[in-house]
Amino acid sequence: MKIKVLKNVFQRNDNAARENRELLDARGVTCVNLLGGAGAGKTSLLEAVIPVLRDSLRMGVLEGDLATTKDATRVDALGVPVIQLLTDGGCHLTATLVQQGLRRLPLDGLDMLLIENVGNPICPAGFDLGEHLRISVLSVTEGDDKAAKYPLLFKDADLIVLSKCDLQPLTDFDFNTVTRDLRRINRRAEILQTQARRAIGTEALATWLLDRCRPSSAASRE
Amino acid sequence: MHEFAVAQSLVDTATVEARRAGAQRVTVIHCRIGVLRQVNSDLLNEAFSLARQGTLCEAAELRVDKAYVQASCGRCDHAYTVRDWEWRCPKCGAEAAELTGGDELLLVSIEADVADEDQGSEERLST
Repeated sequence: MKIKVLKNVFQRNDNAARENRELLDARGVTCVNLLGGAGAGKTSLLEAVIPVLRDSLRMGVLEGDLATTKDATRVDALGVPVIQLLTDGGCHLTATLVQQGLRRLPLDGLDMLLIENVGNPICPAGFDLGEHLRISVLSVTEGDDKAAKYPLLFKDADLIVLSKCDLQPLTDFDFNTVTRDLRRINRRAEILQTQARRAIGTEALATWLLDRCRPSSAASRE
Repeated sequence: MHEFAVAQSLVDTATVEARRAGAQRVTVIHCRIGVLRQVNSDLLNEAFSLARQGTLCEAAELRVDKAYVQASCGRCDHAYTVRDWEWRCPKCGAEAAELTGGDELLLVSIEADVADEDQGSEERLST
């Protein structure tokens, strides 16, 4: 017999993601999923914005990696609670793994949770973690053809960060090309250029995050 | 390698649906995958042949419909298929299109054998 199903293939992940979102909503925590290829500069962006936001927002971080606690160590140095999630070779974070991380974080004391996904421009994009906002990072050293090559990475982003823009003169990265390709798959996301090492554009990123956080509503819910 | 996650999820969901319908054996899993998902069909087939082992889907055939990128013209509303990253509206030539499909990842249906009168085989397969 034929049985009609019509369900999302990642239904189990989607269910866990919904649970995560409900938990975060109940605690008044705004959750951001930071995605991008390996070496796009995700951790450097965290290192740049966390010190700026630390005084106005209570922040926590989940660090996704295949192996090592190198990134968690970098974030830990900034004085915010951080949990390293190791996928043990898995190429993306899942909502279930994030669930384990959420249990280990002091959610009641947080306004914003930043999740740094595994460095990979393909797989992480397909997995909802329960985040409220998605930031996709592309560094100029990766090349201006990457929006066309990895469309899913940018399709559902709320913000697209073009990082390492100080290195652009050393490359043939064309901002017009990448912007045109990004606009084809995502017309609503803001596009921001950053140079994390020189703290250029990172203030704007911090402001973007602050504007979308809900510290007051979290307090009023208590 | 998100293909294994796709294969595993297909087998899991098909198994749940087959059990719910009282079926003993899944013969076909029919899914629809958009090209934006960047699922490689060779890798998916390989992953599927591993994921189905020891499940109700052990002998199932995987049928995949490829869904191309669909767009709707922002100027003339014409709906069209985007091929080779050519986004211009074939009718009016406008660039500003709205993405309307091509990112789906759906388990559409399964075909399964329902229990026959032979209780022996039912028990053997359901353990």
